[in-house]
Order: sequence, then C-alpha cells, then structure tokens
Amino acid sequence: MSDDTPTTPAPGAPDPTTLLGPDSLLYGFCDDARWGLAVVRATALEAAHPQIGAALVENSTFVAHPWRRLRNTLVSTQRVLSGDPAVRDREVARLNRLHGRLTGTDERGRPYSGLDPAARAWVVATLFESTVTMCRLSGESLDGPTMERLYAEFRAFLALLEGGYSDHLPPTVREFWPYYDDVLERGLENTEALRIILRRLFAHIPPPPLLRGRPAVWALGRAVAGPVAAAVVAASLPEAFRRQMGVGDLPGAQTLTRGVHVGTGVATRLLPEAWTRTGTVMSLLDPDQAAGPGADALAALRRRAGRAGALFRLLTPAPDDGGADGTAQRPADRFFTEVLDQTGDGYLEWPDLAAMAREIATRLDLDADGEERLYEAFAAWWRELVAVLDADGDGRVTRQEYAASAGSLAGPALIRVAETLFEAADADGNGTISAEEHRTLFRSAFARELIDPDTGGRYSRSAFVREFVAFMAGRRNSTSYDGLLAHG
Amino acid sequence: MAGPPRHVACVMDGNGRWAARRALPRTAGHAAAEAAVIDTIEAAHAAGVEWLSLYAFSTENWRRPTAEVDFLMRLVRRTVRKHALTLHARGVRCRFLGAADPRVPPPLARDIADLMELTRDNRRLTLTVAFDHGGRRDIVAAARALIRDGVPAEQVTEESFARHLPHPDMPDVDLVIRTSGEQRISNFLLWQVAYAEWMFPRVLWPDFRAGHFWECLDAYRRRERRFGAVPAPATTEERTR
Repeated sequence: MSDDTPTTPAPGAPDPTTLLGPDSLLYGFCDDARWGLAVVRATALEAAHPQIGAALVENSTFVAHPWRRLRNTLVSTQRVLSGDPAVRDREVARLNRLHGRLTGTDERGRPYSGLDPAARAWVVATLFESTVTMCRLSGESLDGPTMERLYAEFRAFLALLEGGYSDHLPPTVREFWPYYDDVLERGLENTEALRIILRRLFAHIPPPPLLRGRPAVWALGRAVAGPVAAAVVAASLPEAFRRQMGVGDLPGAQTLTRGVHVGTGVATRLLPEAWTRTGTVMSLLDPDQAAGPGADALAALRRRAGRAGALFRLLTPAPDDGGADGTAQRPADRFFTEVLDQTGDGYLEWPDLAAMAREIATRLDLDADGEERLYEAFAAWWRELVAVLDADGDGRVTRQEYAASAGSLAGPALIRVAETLFEAADADGNGTISAEEHRTLFRSAFARELIDPDTGGRYSRSAFVREFVAFMAGRRNSTSYDGLLAHG
Repeated sequence: MAGPPRHVACVMDGNGRWAARRALPRTAGHAAAEAAVIDTIEAAHAAGVEWLSLYAFSTENWRRPTAEVDFLMRLVRRTVRKHALTLHARGVRCRFLGAADPRVPPPLARDIADLMELTRDNRRLTLTVAFDHGGRRDIVAAARALIRDGVPAEQVTEESFARHLPHPDMPDVDLVIRTSGEQRISNFLLWQVAYAEWMFPRVLWPDFRAGHFWECLDAYRRRERRFGAVPAPATTEERTR
C-alpha cells in the first residue's frame, strides 16, 4: 500500500525536503546521546496506547534485544534525515512495509495495525513531547520559536510516513497540547506492554555487545542502574498519566530525575563533543561497529574496560570449573532463549521468526521483492516447525516442545531459508559471498575456516548453507550468527 | 662477563616419572609441576631474563587418555586464575601459543584470552606458554603465509621467513633447559632454537626449583666464555643485521 510513497508532498503539507535534513533540530537530537532518555520515556507513553501496546507485545523484540532495536531505530532515523531524497524515500517505504506486517488482534480481540494513522500520530506526538520534557528537565527549556520549528519537523516526519500528508496531528503547537492531554486522558490504557516497559525492561535488559562476555560485570551494574533508570523514566512521565496507570512515585524520584537530566546535560556540555554523540555511545557499546572520529580515545577506553573486565573475571570464582561446558554446542534451552525466542515471551511463535526476517532485511536493506522472498522462506519454515514441534497444537512452540525434538529443526524449509538468505546477501549475484557482503550481513570479518580456498577467499554457497543450518538447528555456535540473531 | 640469556625456554619433562616413583597417578605429577613453574618464572624475573618460554602441552599430547587431558586443562585453568594478578603485578606479559585449538575447553580459552588481554602492555618479562604447540606447524604456517602474500621464491630469506612465523616478535632462543635428562627436541619451537645452547639437568620437572635455574644460567655463561673466541651463539640482532 505505501510502497509507492509519493515523493512530492500534497498541497498544504509541510515540505519534508526543507524541514528534514542534516540541519534540522531533529537531526541534532538524534545525534545527542541524552535523547535515549526521551525515547525510552516516549516508548512507555506509546505502549499505553491500545493499538501500539498490542503491536509491541506481540511483535517487538525490545525486551529480548533492546540494543539491536535501539541501533536499528537510530540508523533508520538517520537515513530519513540524511537529506538525500532517494535514501529517505527508500527508508520510508521500508518502514511502511515493516509496519504493514505488524497486524493482528490484541488479547481482547480488537484488531491492530502498525499502519493505523492515529496510532502513528501518537508515536510522533510522544516523541515530540518527550523531547520537550527532556529539554525542560535538563534546565534548557526550548523557547517558543524553537518549539514551533521542532513541532513542524515532527509533523513533516509523520507526513513522510503517511505518504505526504497527515491531519492526525494538529497544525500548531498551541493546538497540540489539548490533543495531547485528550489522548492522555481518554485514549490510553494500562496495557501489558506498559507494564513490561516499566517493570521488566530495565531489570532484564541483556548486556550490550561490549559486555556480553562479562555477565558478572553487567549484572552488577544493572542491579544498581536498572532501578534508577526505571525510576527516572517513571518519574518523568506526566502526573495525570502516572495517577491513571498506577505508576508509583518513589520518594525522591523527582529529584533524582532532575538530577539525572541535569547531569547528562552538564556532561554533554563538558565532555568532548564526540563522546556524547549517539553514534559514539553505540559504537562503544557495540565494538563490531565501524569506528568514526575519536576512534583512538574510544579504543583506549574500550581497552581499559576490557582489561578491567578480564581482571574481574579472573578474580571471581569460576562457577563452571567442572569443565561441563566443554563442547562448542550450547544447550537447547539456552539456544531457545538466546536465539529462537526473539520477542522474549518464552514461546516460539511466528513473530519470533518474523523478527529474524525483519532484522536480516534491515541489515541488508532489501527492496520490496527481496524482503517478500525472505519473509516467505521464513513463513514456510514456521509452518514446518509447527508441524514438527507443536505437540499440543496450540499454534506456538514451548520450551519443552522444542527441547523434546530439538534435533529435527533442520528440515527442507530451513535449507530454503538458508538459500534465500544467501541469495539476498550475495548482492552482486556472482554465487559467492565476498568479504564486503559478509560484513554487510554480520558486521564482522570472515572466520578464516569458512573461506573456501577453491573460490579464492570467498564464502561459497554450500559452506554458507551448511553453516546457517548448523547454527539454526542449534548444532553449532557461530559468533557471526550470534551477532546477528542472539541477545543484544 | 656476559649478561643473562635474553630468551630461555624450558621443556617441562618428568611429571609422569615423578609420580610413578612415588606410586601416585600421573595427574599428581602434573599437579606438583605448578610450584616448579611459579618458581622458574620468579627466578627468570629476578635474573633479568626478558623472554621465558614454557613447553606445557604439545599437539601430540592430545592423544593421551581423555581423563589426563581433562585434568591438565583444569589444572592450567586453576593455575591461570590463581596467579593472574601476581603475574600482572610483576610486569609479566603472558602469551599462549596455540591456545586457539577448538579442543581447548571454552572456559579455559576465555581465561587465557583474559590473561593475555590483562597483561598485554607489560614489558618486564614476556612469558610464552607453548600450549598445544607444534614447531613444525609454525613453520608450515609461515610457509602458507609467504605463499598467500605471493612472495617470489628468490625473495624468501631466513629473515623474511621468520617474519611470517606466528609471533614474529619473539627472539631466537638462547638457552633451552629440558629436565629429567631426556635429550630430545620433541617438535618444540623448531625454528627459534637453531642457535640455542641446551642443558639437560637430571632433576624431574616437579622438583625443579630456582636453584636449578640459576645453575643452568651459570653454566650458560661459562659456556659462552669458553667459546668466546670462535663464533659465539649469536643473538637475534646480530644475525638479522
């Protein structure tokens, strides 16, 4: 439906070309690591919207893979704001295809759609309001004209998504606040997604890639930072909303919230500019990412963190000293949690496989046809899985059902998925994966043993299919696929 | 008088016989070797040796009984964890040759990687543990690297070949100590021992202590003095120049 997004805006609509680009306010916020606070807060407000909450609970990977999702969101937003109309329109079309697949019915049987215009307007509204609130709490309130301009940019963003025009957001900031208060008062519910964000997200957040090998360090940090982050987000929510949803107010949380915002604001001004850019923070957390400016300081910082982690691990008692972990294969239980259950709800369902297809399509930046082929291959695999694994026929695979017949995952449909993935990753269609193509898919270099010497240092089709099937069947660990599909 | 040898290598032989003489299982001999290893590192550190290499476990040793291999892996892991901080505090840089073998249990591989990462910038003494190492395999790896780089045959020299070995910064070995009286090379650092002096003390490795190490260094110095007139055992710098 929105694959053919018009590039010329309808008359009267805000013009995206002049408003959205590298010079926009929005671009500046996107590049500011503090904005992460605003995005999490906005997500909580979005989750209370029945349509969005249902879509989040059913499909989103943000509980199990928050870091990956954060990164994808950032890359996507940067593409839309890149200033290049071709890149922007391609990304908008991709976002619309992605959201178009998020349909279903919620627990009360009401249908939801990722393309619902009112819901999408609310997403943009919460992002705008959260950005304004973030600035206010940091002690740098936006002045009238700046706020007007930011609002116009957000409206232009929504109009882009809606194919050129949207009347779901009021035209001016003055009219925006009554709309916002109205939705806040009457349009929201205490959804499951909201409860998950406020109670579970911070307590269960998996380590970012940098700390993945150091679960003890991460657990320690999270035990302190998790409740603080949750309290800060909760306390920054609108008063009326908190009352309505029964979000408790911890004593001192308001002061804490102010302190954190002011603190990050001061840090933003005092630290070297490169350190507080979102991209820098992301690349610090995810060492696979290509380093930009400030790479030397970053590398030194990462090395020091690495050394501290190494020392910590060597000094803490080794729980697995018995050598039980002696194989390169992970137990079926862990494979289920880390790879298969992408939405983190404890079941293997179609949204889990769809999330894998979504992640791969995003990485490879596939066009509509390629994306369709990939989703079809994953859908065929899902049918095969249900036929083999779903013992009680309830349409989803439990951990026990998976453990009972884990070996039978490698059917013909899985091999078909591998072949489709190979074709998608082989961008130049020459029948092998080059180092460049490998990097696009996995963000890492080849493992040497995978390279087939007969093809001149390239990854052959058969080796690729073999590796993928071995990983997906839980028979072998692979750092490449872990980076693509496991926790993060 | 000549200074201490720059690079000393020890082949830690005799654990099994040490245990057999005491009617203990072979594993007891391996466990007793830990004290000798730590004593040797201390002695080398004190003597000003810059490079110390220990031959712990060779590629061929994977053929030993599974229980013994498992025990050895656990022992190495325990030793690594127990002494990591001391080694780091002493300015010892730790490196492991051949620990990338998939048969090395993942927890041990991670501890080894941690220890290498932790001590990477230390320079006082570089301790190389030849863990699952084969000298011929290193030479084959160098040959492969040369071919991959497309070096023409006439340009392959001893120096360019040495630069393609794993760990090309490692200088040639000046002194090899093989305990228990065995007089074999056993595929250990083949390329690097070309000009080395060899000592074969009869003591079994679990009984080897700093005193034995000092004796070997002393003998090495006397040998150098005795052969001072004829081409002396050259150091790396002299040969590569």
